[in-house]
Amino acid sequence: MAIIECREVCKNFGEKVALDHVSVSIPEGRIFGLLGPNGAGKTTLIRIINRITIPTGGEVIFKGRPITQKDVEKIGYMPEERGLYRKMKVGEQALYLAQLKGMSRSDALRELKDWFIRFGIQDWWNKKVEELSKGMAQKLQFITTVVHRPSLMILDEPFSGFDPVNAELIRQEILRLKAEGATIILSTHNMESVEELCDDIALINKSKLVITGELADIRRRYGNDNIELIYTDADGRHTEVLPRETDGRATLQSYIDKGVQINAYRELMPRMNDIFIKLVTGEDRI
Amino acid sequence: MNLRTINLVIAREYTTRVKKKSFLILTFVVPILFAVMCTLPTILMMNTKEKKQVVAVVDNSGIVMPWLVSGEAAEYRDFSGANPDSLKSSLEALGIDVLVQISPLDSAVSVGVQTYSKKPAGVDFSEALRSKVNKAVEDYRIRSYNISGLDKILKDVKADVKVKEFTLGEDGRETVSESGIYMIISMILGMFIYMFIAIFGGMVMGSVIEEKSSRVIEVIVSSVKAIDLMFGKIIGIALVALTQFLLWIILTGVLLFAGNAVFGFGDMVKAASPDQTAQMMQMAAPGMDAGTLDLSAVTAQEPDQMSVIVTTLANIPWGTLLGCFLVFFLLGYLLYASLFAAIGSAVENEADSTQLQLPATIPLVIGFFISFIAMRNPYSGLVWWGSMIPFTSPIVMLSRIPYGVPAWEILLSVALLLVTFLAIAWASAKIYKAGILIFGQKSTWKDLWKWLRQK
Repeated sequence: MAIIECREVCKNFGEKVALDHVSVSIPEGRIFGLLGPNGAGKTTLIRIINRITIPTGGEVIFKGRPITQKDVEKIGYMPEERGLYRKMKVGEQALYLAQLKGMSRSDALRELKDWFIRFGIQDWWNKKVEELSKGMAQKLQFITTVVHRPSLMILDEPFSGFDPVNAELIRQEILRLKAEGATIILSTHNMESVEELCDDIALINKSKLVITGELADIRRRYGNDNIELIYTDADGRHTEVLPRETDGRATLQSYIDKGVQINAYRELMPRMNDIFIKLVTGEDRI
Repeated sequence: MNLRTINLVIAREYTTRVKKKSFLILTFVVPILFAVMCTLPTILMMNTKEKKQVVAVVDNSGIVMPWLVSGEAAEYRDFSGANPDSLKSSLEALGIDVLVQISPLDSAVSVGVQTYSKKPAGVDFSEALRSKVNKAVEDYRIRSYNISGLDKILKDVKADVKVKEFTLGEDGRETVSESGIYMIISMILGMFIYMFIAIFGGMVMGSVIEEKSSRVIEVIVSSVKAIDLMFGKIIGIALVALTQFLLWIILTGVLLFAGNAVFGFGDMVKAASPDQTAQMMQMAAPGMDAGTLDLSAVTAQEPDQMSVIVTTLANIPWGTLLGCFLVFFLLGYLLYASLFAAIGSAVENEADSTQLQLPATIPLVIGFFISFIAMRNPYSGLVWWGSMIPFTSPIVMLSRIPYGVPAWEILLSVALLLVTFLAIAWASAKIYKAGILIFGQKSTWKDLWKWLRQK
């Protein structure tokens, strides 16, 4: 079932059209990737879902009925341009934001301690936000977004500013939150993360929805179902791309008969990166 | 309104500010300054023994020297006949601070005066010198009329008029007063209330802009109603202001008490006050039933300056003053803070705010200038209207209050201010609600007007 459904959402800023009849359906309990080049209208769509921006047309449906302020109150939203009070201490700030999201002070304190320990940042509690590096502030922002265990989270570019180790940490946390039953809307340019995390995606370009659906379906649709065979013989390791009409059994048998070692035989999925470029620029690299 | 979230907002605005170093510093520095300001004149008065200036006079007119009587500030030595040029070159050797050269009487029966010194002689000195030389020339001229018995006439016409001021109370009671003191208190009150409204109102705007520019607003606006956020801020910062005032009053009291013990300046005041004040009160007492005041008694007993100041201070309605200060500060602050919150919501950084802020600050500045007029002429029409029109009234009314304002005028002014605040708060809340979520455009007053009319 869809937790959020955007129906024919439009938004104009004066003459400029930011969103043009965009309809997407975000299934519950999954990770939904919102993709698109810079300025495509992703953030506008997120703001409309959050009721920060009022759409010019169309509507947002939350669990089968029009979304209300009450529904939005509990959404965990991490904006792309980070929202933290620079002059406030880390701990106080996290407590304040958690309490605003409805947690009691004691609950917030307990949960935050857990998160801080898990992220290895216990000793930041009394630091001021302005003393934190970009990546550090990002971690704090992530914690404040999810600490009240929202059933729906919207993360705008959650990986920007992170080193690979911390990006992986955040990826694991996102997967953990999903396992706990949360729905996550992920807006990102990081296509590897999309491949790794997302169940469904929507791609927006120039304020129009280009494609939406299950990630695996889309990748298959844009691929040519070629098959990749990797084997090792006396000369070393080889990769061969076989057309999809290939009779798998016969081909494999013939290689086995040659006495080579088969390393992999798999359906060749196009990379999300290439699909993205193809859909946005028309340049085919697949 | 959601009390839980509004309380959270108030608590955040309050605690983050009260914990700031600048708050602490201001809390301690201001009372110290205030106490120093209160005590300094007394200490100076007790300790000034100015160094006498030695003045060499070369009087070529022959009429001025007798008038140059040495006093506490200057010692005049007659060097008439000496060569001014050689004196100039040996000022230090002779221990002379200033050389005064007076020309012979000219055809218009006047003299020219030149002074030479290594260091500037000072305004007080040149004023005194000018007045003395003028007297000498005037005396010479009047004597040239050859009036008989001139000395006696001059002595007879010499006048030294003193103006004594009394304030008539409602009950016809007369109290000695001193306009200068009213003026100073009026000035201080007007300035303080202007400063505080500007400072704390500005804080509200800064806080709104901070949330917008850091995008915190995007994170919290889904959990806090815009209107709760705005009033939470305004209330939180008002509490900061009240805390600051309270600490200032307490600390100034403590410091003055301590200063009193150390410098004993309070004893002076006390010594001057009880007897003379009592006498003056008595003199003032006959009031209406006696019909006229015993003027001879007043002239006979010269109340000295200090006791007049003390009586005046004692007669100022301090309670009313403090009460009015708080009421007018709070209402004025609320009015301007809501206005500033609306303006802050329209901009993304402090730098952009100036342009929008200016029209809102102008009435405040006008109020400040009217309070300057009020200080000298509290009964002018401009001042009266200034103390009624809500945008200037907090400042102007405060500077009127030391002079005494009828209760109905104060109440009317407060009522007008309150009604205006409610109207502005309503409009500001609408603008704020729309403004805080509009990014990436430079808003103008036209946009604010548009947001105000939005449903």
